[in-house]
Amino acid sequence: MPDPLTMIFMHPFLQRALIALALTSMISATSGTFTVLRGLSFMPSAVAHAALGGAALAIYLQSSGLVPFLNPASGALLFSLIVAVVTGYVGERGTTSRMEVAVGVTFAMAMSIAVFFMHYIPAEYTPQIWGYLIGDIYLLTVSDLILLSLASSTMTILTIIFLKEFTYLSFDMEGLSAHGLDVRLYHYLLVTASSLAIAVATKAVGAILVYAVMVAPAAAAGEWGKTVTSVSLWSFTIAFTMQMAGLVSSMLWNTSPSAVAGILASLIYIGTILKKRKV
Amino acid sequence: METIVDVRNLYVKYSTGTVALEDVSFTLEHPTFTAVIGPNGSGKTTLLRTLLGLVKPTKGSVRVMGIDPSKQSSQIRRLAAYIPQRKSIDYNIPIKVKDVVLMGRLAKKAVPRIAGRRDIDAAEKSLRLLGLEDCWDRPFPELSGGQQQRVLVARALASEARLMLLDEPLSGADVESQYVILDLLKDLRENSNVDILIVTHDLNPCHPYIDNAILLNRRLYGYGEPCNLMRLDILSKVYGPNVRLITHEGHVYAVIGDIHA
Repeated sequence: MPDPLTMIFMHPFLQRALIALALTSMISATSGTFTVLRGLSFMPSAVAHAALGGAALAIYLQSSGLVPFLNPASGALLFSLIVAVVTGYVGERGTTSRMEVAVGVTFAMAMSIAVFFMHYIPAEYTPQIWGYLIGDIYLLTVSDLILLSLASSTMTILTIIFLKEFTYLSFDMEGLSAHGLDVRLYHYLLVTASSLAIAVATKAVGAILVYAVMVAPAAAAGEWGKTVTSVSLWSFTIAFTMQMAGLVSSMLWNTSPSAVAGILASLIYIGTILKKRKV
Repeated sequence: METIVDVRNLYVKYSTGTVALEDVSFTLEHPTFTAVIGPNGSGKTTLLRTLLGLVKPTKGSVRVMGIDPSKQSSQIRRLAAYIPQRKSIDYNIPIKVKDVVLMGRLAKKAVPRIAGRRDIDAAEKSLRLLGLEDCWDRPFPELSGGQQQRVLVARALASEARLMLLDEPLSGADVESQYVILDLLKDLRENSNVDILIVTHDLNPCHPYIDNAILLNRRLYGYGEPCNLMRLDILSKVYGPNVRLITHEGHVYAVIGDIHA
């Protein structure tokens, strides 16, 4: 068996996977970091499951001939946008606890919709829905990659431009609002852009593992980073290396790439917490 | 004399049906250092938020430096600085002290909000006045509660406001920090033309520093020099029957049995 490096050169699907994991790591560094800082770490998970519900609805409408031009990705984006807007609306005054409830309820609603429509979807389409649930970095098409690079670069550019605003928002929404900052604008910008990016990443990572791959790296980095920038860069590094390890392990031992990445990233978080406790 | 705050027959009722303020009227004349006191849930924070235009009056009128905050909140926010109560700030955000102090100035600038020489000078000066010049580059979450509170005062100070509205600026602060903050506020009021309105559940540390106190418990129960408000008949209406009074160095202090009553 050839070594992993040669395999990557030989197989385009592996090259696509490599690009995808760099792009999803960028989303972890931006959306992941700020949802953790904002106390909304549960949101990426909810958004990903909403994407699944949206995809199920879109597949139903498409396969039943009601709206033939609708594709699963647009359904996924629409539903994740709904989660973002509901969460954003509830969180306008910055109360995290109420936002968590909104996240949970929209999560449950989207999953219920997914289960509801799966019953009516012809069997040959169900693998597409499972794709959103488990995710498969090896099954990405070129157009998936284009969408993913669009999402991750937009999120990265927004974060670079509005790093101060997003940080201020997480630190003291009320106080900065009184200092004249348009907190509502940046609040909605952050939750909607993050949600859309995560919805796009769901096809690669899978709704179940979004938390492990996108949030756990940011949560671990948040435990030791001294500035938001360093948290974000560390989050990228962890997400990228762990996903890389997942990829290599899948080539060598035929394991699931995002599962291994998820286990490793979670272990890093747990290790960080334990080490901090000892000091 | 210039009127800084003019509140007339103010009612605030939240959409949940809770009446936070009922028929509150008072005026503050420049220069002033005033404390709003009252038990928890007495509407103190709502009053500050109304002055900043963060809450709209249900009835009555509010003017801050002649401006109606519910209509022209952006003008108020240019003239005022605000420290919200502790619970609305996330003290775990990885951020340097200098970034917190600069925030008050940069929030008023246009994107990308780059700190210029003047911003940095003002921020450094504010931090120095609060005795924290050595903390400029330190991570904010690693400071003590008192130091964090002082940094927030420095943030308000650096924004060069005409009016400072501080919600429980002494809570979570050690005794030394409390006096650093109070000394500075008094100095601002006397020498820098800044008017100050603070909210506190504990009047005692502020007592010798302030000009006036407003006793609030949804309604206005008293307004005037702090010693004149320290009367059992007034205080027991707000805090219940367990209030005791102590006189020390010419000031009357209240000992309140249970402030959460």
